[in-house]
Amino acid sequence: MHARPRLFGRAYYAGPGDGRAWPYNFRKTLLKQSERDFANPIPGSYLLTVSLAQQAYRLSAFCRGLMLPANRAAFKADEMRCLRDAGLSDAEIEMVRARDWLTMVRYGVNHFLVFRLAGVAGDNLAAAGARMRGETLEQFASTRRVWEER
Amino acid sequence: MARIVAGMGSPHAPAVGAAVDRRDEESAYWKPLFDGYKPMRAWLEREKPDVIILFTNDHFTSFFLDVIPTFAIAVADRHEIADEGWGKRDLPEVPGHTELAWHLSKTLVDDGFDLAVCHRLPLDHGSLSPLSALMPHVQAWPVRVIPILVNVLHFPIPSAARCFELGRAMRRAVASFEDDLKVVALGTGGLSHQLTGERFGLIDPAWDAEFLDRLETDPRSLARLSHRELIERGGTESVEMIMWLCMRGTLSERVRRAHRNYYHATLTGYGQVIFEDLENVPR
Repeated sequence: MHARPRLFGRAYYAGPGDGRAWPYNFRKTLLKQSERDFANPIPGSYLLTVSLAQQAYRLSAFCRGLMLPANRAAFKADEMRCLRDAGLSDAEIEMVRARDWLTMVRYGVNHFLVFRLAGVAGDNLAAAGARMRGETLEQFASTRRVWEER
Repeated sequence: MARIVAGMGSPHAPAVGAAVDRRDEESAYWKPLFDGYKPMRAWLEREKPDVIILFTNDHFTSFFLDVIPTFAIAVADRHEIADEGWGKRDLPEVPGHTELAWHLSKTLVDDGFDLAVCHRLPLDHGSLSPLSALMPHVQAWPVRVIPILVNVLHFPIPSAARCFELGRAMRRAVASFEDDLKVVALGTGGLSHQLTGERFGLIDPAWDAEFLDRLETDPRSLARLSHRELIERGGTESVEMIMWLCMRGTLSERVRRAHRNYYHATLTGYGQVIFEDLENVPR
């Protein structure tokens, strides 16, 4: 019996040195103002749209690759090497290095992908959210009706 | 003939499944939610449905940007458990119902709903959190499940009206299946919540209560809401309330509310309901 592959979809970051992870080289996306307005319907709220997702494709694929335990281990062992091997731009690498989840979301990475990266980087959901709000975890906790330490 | 006897609503947050796995149902934090599952578990044990049609979404687990189906149906005989990146939950694979899934996909496409057909779709927390909370710690699932996946993450996403109409079409499709099956529709997702941006953490219990009221008595008024209106009231992630409208669409106008519970948790409004269909009475 053959082993079933562990990830679905063909374009994901399979690990350091993986040369076949990037079938596409997207052009620099120029967002129309109408799409920009749609993606930010009210202050502090962001939606994922086609041009944004395409602009952030590589970074998104990198985050999705963190579903694999080996990639999580590699990231923890040598973060910078992983980011370079994944072919990310300097700006993208800086977002990750700065744990700037808010910028990643605004750039076009869906938050469920961001949370996979945040988890590996040590931020649980509440911690990632506090960071997006520009608060400490304690400040954010003080705004909550109920709170569970995890 | 098969018939939908009831609709249920449940949250699908990963934290709910994690609390099931830790057997943390009686803690002060989780008891208000899990007390709300007790009548739902009792209902399922009493009524023993053959099939659950589960309206949920994938969270970039089995789908990625490469292919983003607006609506999809999982037709496998057995649905795998996905590892989302935090380790695979210790759950048995979920039995599907291929014959009914064929009939539903064929009938729905004929009826104007062009669902993507998935022969292999490992399930993530969107499916497993509600299933494991409704049927905790089972050796084998007592019911077959047909997941219907709705894109709620990458715009464009389907309108509330379209989701409600998908439910209507699902009701017709189920009713034309030749076998005598008892079917429950399960709508899943958080009520008000927002998980990104400076508005992260938004919850509006008053809106959630109004939504649950109108879901029961006037769902068509909810189906007229735009995504923008949903987002303003309930936060960006609350657009997934459209999956509750899929569920409500599968029921007749007249329903009996057999259960309702609400818990305002840290990041999400959690709703739970059972609506029995008064035209397809269970007993």
